[in-house]
Amino acid sequence: MPREAEPSANEKAFLLKALQDEQIRLDGREFDQYRPLELTFGDEYGVANVSLGKTKILAKASAEVTVPFADRPLDGIFTIATELSPMAAPHFEVNRPTETEVLLSRLLEKTVRRSGALDTESLCLVAGQKCWSVRVDVHVLSHDGNLTDAACFAVVAALRHFRKPDTSMENGVLTVYTPAEREPVPLGWLHSPFCVTWSFFGEEGETALLDADWMEEQVRVASVTISLNRHGEICQIAKLGGVPVEAVALLQCTSVALTKVKEFSTYLDDKLAEDAKRRDKGGFMAELRAENDRIVG
Amino acid sequence: MSSESPLVVLPGETIDPSLIPTHKKNPLRLGPGLRHIPPSEIVPTVAGQLVVDHRKTSMWIEYNGGRYIPSQGDLIIGQIARSATDFYYVSLSPYTPNATLPHLAFESATKKTRPQLASGELVYARVSLANRHMDPELECVNSSTGKADGLGPLKDGMVFDVSLGFARRLLMAKSREEGKVEVLEALGEEGLAFETAVGRNGKVWVGSESVKTAVMVGRALRETDEKGLGVEAQRKLVKKLVREMR
Repeated sequence: MPREAEPSANEKAFLLKALQDEQIRLDGREFDQYRPLELTFGDEYGVANVSLGKTKILAKASAEVTVPFADRPLDGIFTIATELSPMAAPHFEVNRPTETEVLLSRLLEKTVRRSGALDTESLCLVAGQKCWSVRVDVHVLSHDGNLTDAACFAVVAALRHFRKPDTSMENGVLTVYTPAEREPVPLGWLHSPFCVTWSFFGEEGETALLDADWMEEQVRVASVTISLNRHGEICQIAKLGGVPVEAVALLQCTSVALTKVKEFSTYLDDKLAEDAKRRDKGGFMAELRAENDRIVG
Repeated sequence: MSSESPLVVLPGETIDPSLIPTHKKNPLRLGPGLRHIPPSEIVPTVAGQLVVDHRKTSMWIEYNGGRYIPSQGDLIIGQIARSATDFYYVSLSPYTPNATLPHLAFESATKKTRPQLASGELVYARVSLANRHMDPELECVNSSTGKADGLGPLKDGMVFDVSLGFARRLLMAKSREEGKVEVLEALGEEGLAFETAVGRNGKVWVGSESVKTAVMVGRALRETDEKGLGVEAQRKLVKKLVREMR
């Protein structure tokens, strides 16, 4: 198994010096500034393409009808599948999850699934017999640090954008309609949680940064991932090892995280509205017309 | 370079026979990106700019991309991976086989005075041997004169990754006229004090007393490379960066 490439001793020393003595980052960002976040939706429903600087993530939501779990007959099934392929970085191998991959899928699970962002009860079709199984596949296309935040944003965006086929129940017969017969319906969505990751540097973790890139991630001494929604409801805080961080610093981190999450939330709402406008052909009459789209001008 | 306007070729394209340089005595030499299919066909294997040198009866394709492939005489910046009994293993680019650098291939090095390098430290070295299917060999000393010629361990400073094409442009003898790179000169004119070492493997080492200067140089280089800036835009970028950082 190839080992992950490491930055050289010179680079590590220089990065620490720049962060601690001069208070500058190598790419000229502020300490609490994200790299440019971009989101595009695919032609299909439920495809979200997120890029955070050079980190690129594609999330695809899909749904199929299955049998619910025996112990939860009234709930649908919701899974998040993360896979880090060698495309992201050569040290990732297929079918052999690294620590990064396990932590990433665990964090996404905790943030999106366990916080009840998706209303799984609305996925139930026939109690104990049939339900929707919603699955989100997260593909990391390029790895330049801060996978967690980008992946979480992609998952939430994909699920909010996704439409599942409409169904009806008549005389005990379940009908699933194709998109041509009935417009697909959005998922029952309760709130949008986002992850914000802080990285700490220095002997006692006195320097804190948001959105560390790959090099900064290699040098950091601790990291804290905070998941919360725009109302300031914290879903989870993960601090997996590393040097201890003071409680006051953590409080400050959380309040900055809230402002960031509000920005994410607004950005996602804007993008969703934009996409809906693009798809909206202008009501029923417009859909019935036989004219082709013409380029004006 | 003889062609006035750059000629772009695609893989598998036929090359106009009139472009192929001929010489009475010297054989034709093919550089990277071209493949000779016997008896007499020359086919590009990558997309890029076809460069023909009539004086040296050689031709090659200039392209920007891919992984660094060592070739003899290249100056590179390597990272020490580990030390063996009489040589260091040096990584030229991540996830590729290491090159070897003999312990005694430094200026006036003996068994007792050789530099002790730990893993992770950087060296500026020349590729002394690069055969296909063999690990490349490096040296930090000119073997005929015994002088270092500026090669050796790199202390402090910062390394910035650039594309291979940009590294080649920076290393050109006339990088300003032919390579269209003026960013380093422009930074120097602003009164910044720094030194650089460019490695053909797409790495630029920047050393400076001030951290700010090194960061500024690195950002200027990276941005010039990524955005493919022209000479004018490079000067503008330098002005902007200097204003920002002061």
